[in-house]
Amino acid sequence: MFAAENGLRGDPRLKGISDAITVVPHFPKPGIMFQDITTLVSNPKAFKDTIDIFVDRYRDMDISVVAGVEARGFMFAPAIALAIGAKFIPLRKPGKLPGEVISEAYELEYGKDRLEMHVGAVQHGERALIIDDLVATGGTLSAATRLLERVGAVVVECACVIGLPEVKGRCRLDGKPLYMLVEPRKIENYTLQRCFVDSG
Amino acid sequence: MAVIPCPLVLKISGAKIVPQSNYHSGNSVKIKLLPNTETPIAIRKTPPIHGRANTPRPLQPIRFLHMAAQNVDSTDDRISRISSSIRVIPDFPKPGIMFQDITTLLLDPKAFKDTIDLFVERYKDQNINVVAGIEARGFIFGPPIALAIGAKFVPMRKPKKLPGEVISEEYSLEYGTDIMEMHVGAVQAGERALVVDDLIATGGTLSAAIRLLERVGVDVVECACVIELPELKGRNRLGDKPLFVLVT
Repeated sequence: MFAAENGLRGDPRLKGISDAITVVPHFPKPGIMFQDITTLVSNPKAFKDTIDIFVDRYRDMDISVVAGVEARGFMFAPAIALAIGAKFIPLRKPGKLPGEVISEAYELEYGKDRLEMHVGAVQHGERALIIDDLVATGGTLSAATRLLERVGAVVVECACVIGLPEVKGRCRLDGKPLYMLVEPRKIENYTLQRCFVDSG
Repeated sequence: MAVIPCPLVLKISGAKIVPQSNYHSGNSVKIKLLPNTETPIAIRKTPPIHGRANTPRPLQPIRFLHMAAQNVDSTDDRISRISSSIRVIPDFPKPGIMFQDITTLLLDPKAFKDTIDLFVERYKDQNINVVAGIEARGFIFGPPIALAIGAKFVPMRKPKKLPGEVISEEYSLEYGTDIMEMHVGAVQAGERALVVDDLIATGGTLSAAIRLLERVGVDVVECACVIELPELKGRNRLGDKPLFVLVT
């Protein structure tokens, strides 16, 4: 569900957050309109508003774990964890976490990838959030959910700044609630008009 | 703090002894598991140094006598807790390397908060406009600092991750080179910046970040890391830029 449908309709912070996101056409490949959050994190007010909205939602939900997905999820999840007094758990690409890990495969558009989490980071019964910058197909968040559930954590919600059309209208992902702040930004189409100028 | 030419440093961490060593020491290290502990200790087979018995040097927290204690635990107490919460993983990512793992610090909400607070206390009145964080562990510490001091957060990334127009800087690894990228237009000439990462080893990554920022006219005020490995002399590769760390 989007924030605007869930208590924040008309909240001016949401427009500020949406306006701070940059659309980069044809990245990483032709046809993809990439939602770039680097301009959001370099806007102190919009970045703070983003974190505040998540913190206000989760501070009284007894969350003890905030898991962030590498690498852009790392820009949002730790600040949320700090504000609500929870642990931060990085969920990483293979081979990055030292020591003992568990891993979960997920589908990409072409091929597969894996997400890893430390063994022992999360205890059975802990209540967890999963944070990423954006949700498209939900493949990564589903893998993250499976990792946490395998160790007995309760995934309370998955939360992202941006929710793409594939998840629009869905309130749940694999049975877990999904919370998103804004929809993707679009680039307006400017049509070039021929002006017939009256020289007279 | 004196530089002691001792490749093996043992960190006293409550009841656990956690070994750290120089990446380049080349000494063989035998790992022995003590009963009833999760953490191995390393026993180095080398002769005594300077006639003393081969006693381990405890990890020294940096003393910040000049930092006023806020309405919180003293600086020394906070640093002790931070230091204790970092775990060492032997032979990662390859044999001979004692990897400083900050993920255990992130599992201790008080230690993580104290880490951020110590940086924020230092920088909040320094008119810092930009906190640049180095992918990926710099993304964990940089944004909370940026948010607390009202600065922009700027990610410094591996190649091809940043969309749009970037500038890039090559830097040396132990074997070969890598490239770091920053968005064009992310920062303005004359802005005052910090560069943040979890750890400084040889200083290669931090010096690449400094060069990127200086190329666009930014004033790099300081580099800030949780951990320094002083034996690797990374501090010397930062040119005239100061380095601030919490534990060594």
